[in-house]
Amino acid sequence: MQSPDFSQNYFELFGLDPVFELDSRRLQAEQQRLQATYHPDRYISADERDKRLSTQVASWVNQAYETLQDPVKRSRYLLEISGATIPDDSSTTSDAEFLMEQIELREEVEACRHSDEPLQQCEQIETRLGQRADQLAAEFVSYFEAGELDTAMSSSRKMQFIQRIQQQLSELQFELEDN
Amino acid sequence: MALLQISEPGESNAPHQHRNSIGIDLGTTNSLVATVRSGEAVCLADEEGRSLLPSVVHFGGTGTLVGSQALELQSSDPLNTISSIKRMMGRGREDVSQLGNVVPYEFVVNAGSNVPRIHTRSGDFSAVEISSEILKALHDRAVQSTGRDIDGVVITVPAYFDDAQRQATRDAATLAGLNLFRLLNEPTAAAVAYGLDQNAEGLIAVYDLGGGTFDISILRLNKGVFEVLATGGDSSLGGDDMDHALGEWIIEQDGFGDINTGLARRILFAARDAKEVLTDANSAEIVIDHQQQRWQGRIDRDQFEALIQPLLKKTLSACRRALRDAGISKHDIGEVVMVGGSTRVPLVQAMVGEFFSREPMCDLDPDQVVAMGAAIQADILAGNKPENDMLLLDVLPLSLGIETMGGLSEKIIQRNSSIPVTRAQEFTTFKDGQTAMSIHVVQGERELVSDCRSLAHFELRGFPPMNAGAARIRVTYQVDADGLMSVSAEELTSGITADIIVKPSYGLTDVEIESMLRASMDHAREDIILRLLKEQQVEASRVIEAIDAALAQDGESLLSESEIAQIREHRDALEAVIDTASVEELKRLIKAIEDASEAYVARRMNASVKQALAGKQIDEVDV
Repeated sequence: MQSPDFSQNYFELFGLDPVFELDSRRLQAEQQRLQATYHPDRYISADERDKRLSTQVASWVNQAYETLQDPVKRSRYLLEISGATIPDDSSTTSDAEFLMEQIELREEVEACRHSDEPLQQCEQIETRLGQRADQLAAEFVSYFEAGELDTAMSSSRKMQFIQRIQQQLSELQFELEDN
Repeated sequence: MALLQISEPGESNAPHQHRNSIGIDLGTTNSLVATVRSGEAVCLADEEGRSLLPSVVHFGGTGTLVGSQALELQSSDPLNTISSIKRMMGRGREDVSQLGNVVPYEFVVNAGSNVPRIHTRSGDFSAVEISSEILKALHDRAVQSTGRDIDGVVITVPAYFDDAQRQATRDAATLAGLNLFRLLNEPTAAAVAYGLDQNAEGLIAVYDLGGGTFDISILRLNKGVFEVLATGGDSSLGGDDMDHALGEWIIEQDGFGDINTGLARRILFAARDAKEVLTDANSAEIVIDHQQQRWQGRIDRDQFEALIQPLLKKTLSACRRALRDAGISKHDIGEVVMVGGSTRVPLVQAMVGEFFSREPMCDLDPDQVVAMGAAIQADILAGNKPENDMLLLDVLPLSLGIETMGGLSEKIIQRNSSIPVTRAQEFTTFKDGQTAMSIHVVQGERELVSDCRSLAHFELRGFPPMNAGAARIRVTYQVDADGLMSVSAEELTSGITADIIVKPSYGLTDVEIESMLRASMDHAREDIILRLLKEQQVEASRVIEAIDAALAQDGESLLSESEIAQIREHRDALEAVIDTASVEELKRLIKAIEDASEAYVARRMNASVKQALAGKQIDEVDV
């Protein structure tokens, strides 16, 4: 088995330009092409070395795909390969305005539970959250392209907070639909 | 004695190098084995044409029976007849003690082991050993049916099976002497069985309702690549629960007084029969004989459906969750595949069809579809279809986490991550000179370690002693394509790799597996000697037959009387001891006949060449 170059970054591995906006169909097609080459199923009768190597490469490809597929992880990864320092997850934002926005959004999500039309209410918030995520992504792209990595990092963090609220909302929608 | 039988030209061509592979559905109630024959997946049947092998093993003290013969002994010899062993795979003492109310077996736990064993007349056996008996029986059936050795096997497991249950299944395969290509998730196997037939593209939901379990998987099929997007289900929800619901209804209908286990069992059997009748009929009669009394009743399909509706709603809730995990809407689903005997119930098909707004696919036998898919995958993994680019990309069904302070589980790999997958974590030491650490790996979605499934304690040893906080220990968690986890660790500043001692919480340790293997190899050696003897006896009778046939044909024309007498003498010597001689002795006697008839063989060759040439012009003969 020919080992791929492990020093490539995820974009290089997938043959994509290192930009935030990417073609998800192409990403998926590349993922399948890479797995078709390296997946352990292709090395069932190979020697131990190749079996181990194929598991390593296929894991790496999966990790790359997972990172590139998700907008928040993708934005962080772009910053990482551009040399920005990535703060760990536990650090908090100092943007007071954004902090307020977060608290309000969370309260709104919780309030859906007691609304007369909870599912409709959820859908409205869902739309708004989607718009907010798009807006933050656009912000990220413009800062990142201008080389303002710190500000871009702050947008990426905000995208992450919005994503968490989206997950919280989706959990609630599931609960409501189930009852 | 090949020369006595003159072979046709071209007969001895080397066979095409096709690797013989099989797929095995190792089920709770029944198991199946399938193979791909002329491009078609077929389930292999026994001599009586049955493809389902009851997953029942009987230990009789002297011999072991598997399948219907074992099943027949279940009521007369319940303690030595083991069924539903799949429920015990990868399970520990506490889990089994819960089963204790349901099954009659006597459980024992040996010192130094945490694997429960069932006490039988033939000895104490773990679930792994009992499952390996079922695997051996299926393997033997495949050898018999295909007439060849098996090069590799794919065994299916429920998608929700945790690491311990998968490890146990793999251990059973090892113990049965099988070359395991891959463990494959049952719903994925079902999708393969359908997908290749129809060459479908798009999103597929596989709804798998078995006797005791429910699985839902969402897959994306694209140009032969099956990608599992999400999987979910309920490991204690199935057709048996329908029987229970109906059984309770029967009990409500009439005061049976005290219900002992015997009566409870009879009621359950009656409920199951009624359920099956209601698949085709609109109502079913129920008769229960108990202590010279007979209870008779009738249930119609509407009543039955009202009883099972709450159960089916639970399965739909799991479907909703899987769809959400996959990030798609139920309207995106292009095909719904039905698997498992319980999907024969009309209400199941109706509710699933209504939920996904589409007619579910039930063209293939729901009992056989999983084994068929496994056979297709095995055939491809064996390399028999180099032009086929089918590829299965599966996911981890349950999150892997490690125990942190306060008994909380910190998720290392999220469920529904594509496998194989690797995650690394860095730790440091908290004491000066610390050279070891312990990691407790658990599986499950809950926050508390006590609510998750404990997989193993990993003891990492052999780090260089350093000041507290100076060591940088990278622990790597790897889940392979079978969904099995392993752990490795390295101290980064020194590059020293840790020695790892794995203490599985429920599984067998390597030492236990090894000693079982050794025991089974001892048996295997006996088996091999027996087989060699059988083969040599067959060879001996073949030689005798060939000699007799040859002598009858042309002995008198080609041999002198004394030559005939000499060959006969050797022939009779062999025949006299054919059932009693050892392998070596049989070989020696066969050789003696061969030597004695050497000249005869040469003369027969000449005669047959002359005969072939007789009456032909010289230019008709190929030279």
